[in-house]
Amino acid sequence: MAPRTITPFGPQHPVLPEPIQLKLTLEDEKVVDVLPAIGYGHRGIEKACELNEYPKNIYLCERICGICSAIHGMTYCDVVEKLWPLEIPPRAKYLRTIWAEMSRTHSHLLWLGLAVDALGFESMFMQYWRIREKVLDILEMTAGHRVTQSVAVVGGVRRDIDDDQKKHCIEVLKDVRKEAEALNNVLVNDYTVKARTVGKGVLSYDQAIALGCCGPHLRASGVKEDCRQLGYWAYGDLSFEPITAPGGDTYSRVAVRCGELLQAIDLQLEAFAKMPEGDIAAKPKGSPPANEAATRIEQPRGELFYYAKGNGTRNLERLRVRTPTYANIPSLLVMLPGCEMADVAIIVLSIDPCISCTER
Amino acid sequence: MSMLSTVVSNLFGGPATLMYPVKPREPHARTRGQIALNESLCDGCGNCARRCPAVAIEIVKEKKQWILYPDRCIICEVCADACNRNAIEVLPKWRTPFYKREQIVFQSKGGKEVKEKAGECPVEEV
Repeated sequence: MAPRTITPFGPQHPVLPEPIQLKLTLEDEKVVDVLPAIGYGHRGIEKACELNEYPKNIYLCERICGICSAIHGMTYCDVVEKLWPLEIPPRAKYLRTIWAEMSRTHSHLLWLGLAVDALGFESMFMQYWRIREKVLDILEMTAGHRVTQSVAVVGGVRRDIDDDQKKHCIEVLKDVRKEAEALNNVLVNDYTVKARTVGKGVLSYDQAIALGCCGPHLRASGVKEDCRQLGYWAYGDLSFEPITAPGGDTYSRVAVRCGELLQAIDLQLEAFAKMPEGDIAAKPKGSPPANEAATRIEQPRGELFYYAKGNGTRNLERLRVRTPTYANIPSLLVMLPGCEMADVAIIVLSIDPCISCTER
Repeated sequence: MSMLSTVVSNLFGGPATLMYPVKPREPHARTRGQIALNESLCDGCGNCARRCPAVAIEIVKEKKQWILYPDRCIICEVCADACNRNAIEVLPKWRTPFYKREQIVFQSKGGKEVKEKAGECPVEEV
């Protein structure tokens, strides 16, 4: 038996945009064991949310994650609305759906860029990020900011999308879809990409369920499970079917995200076509009552869970956030042992880790 | 070969980047760049300061001052939405980086006008 060495992977590593450490036990170049260590990015946001008045928490929750900030803000509003409960206007539901899907589009484009960069495919990385820029641009045009959109408010949304903006968004999205489809075809059929990803980091159907995985990571193991099936916001009115892949390997996870990218654009186009006229926000009356509520929203990385407990004052008694990466990290313990050291980077990246979300 | 169409369109499509700072990017009308106060409209009610999630606005009633801390401001536009008199304006232009934590003081009509410059990048003498 070759001697075993323990090699730290991270917290500062070129493929990881955020700090997470993996203590890899290696036998020569083969990984035999892995121990993830998290806790480098804790900011105490949940506690801070208890100290703020409830409308101010929207902007704090948006800062949990830099990629899906709009979804965090809207999910917080969704859980606080459930405390009353408060019904939001139909147009606000569609606008939330559109902004959530725009976030998913740019998040998946970002991930695909990072994944191909981890494989050493740098020109493809530039191509994906070039088209991502167009999505960020329409986010800025409609919401006012590229990253922290700040569009959610308890009772609806703060900004409307007028007809000119809608027309421009549809044009850009069609353009992005065409370009993304061309790039996806290259990516999923590429010989080198297949050689680096097929059969690497396999997570079976049963293991994915037993380890409580979520999001595209779960669907890549063949499990047809997506929170959007619950029909929250406008998803109930849109033709939505979760995208799955049977393999459970890194290649399947790339394929699922490629499919979801195009699906997210289709959902936006459908939502734009079906969006009704009307108010964009309902006014909440008084403070949130003493009540408990929980909500599940599909983030680009998987299921986002918010729990809130009100006590009749303007402050919440408790806010709990469970993010998808937290659910997906345990699967690394199954996926990594047995792989080569060189494949660790792409396998870790294939769960789309968002550490700032995980640690809050 | 499947990449050929993308390569050809890039070849004739021109650069995707701008020659910043020679050619700055045009902001959108809705872009939240920075906030500014129209002193003549402000009555000092304090709606903006109470609702600001970042505690970036302070009102000193005795001196009739409205103070903005630009390093704390997250430009969420809540103050502008909260203002009943539309005194707060959101400008699409970004504030330039600054080295010192300064405050911008707006003085209402009654007092002497004091506007401290913040957000300009100071030139350091070597």
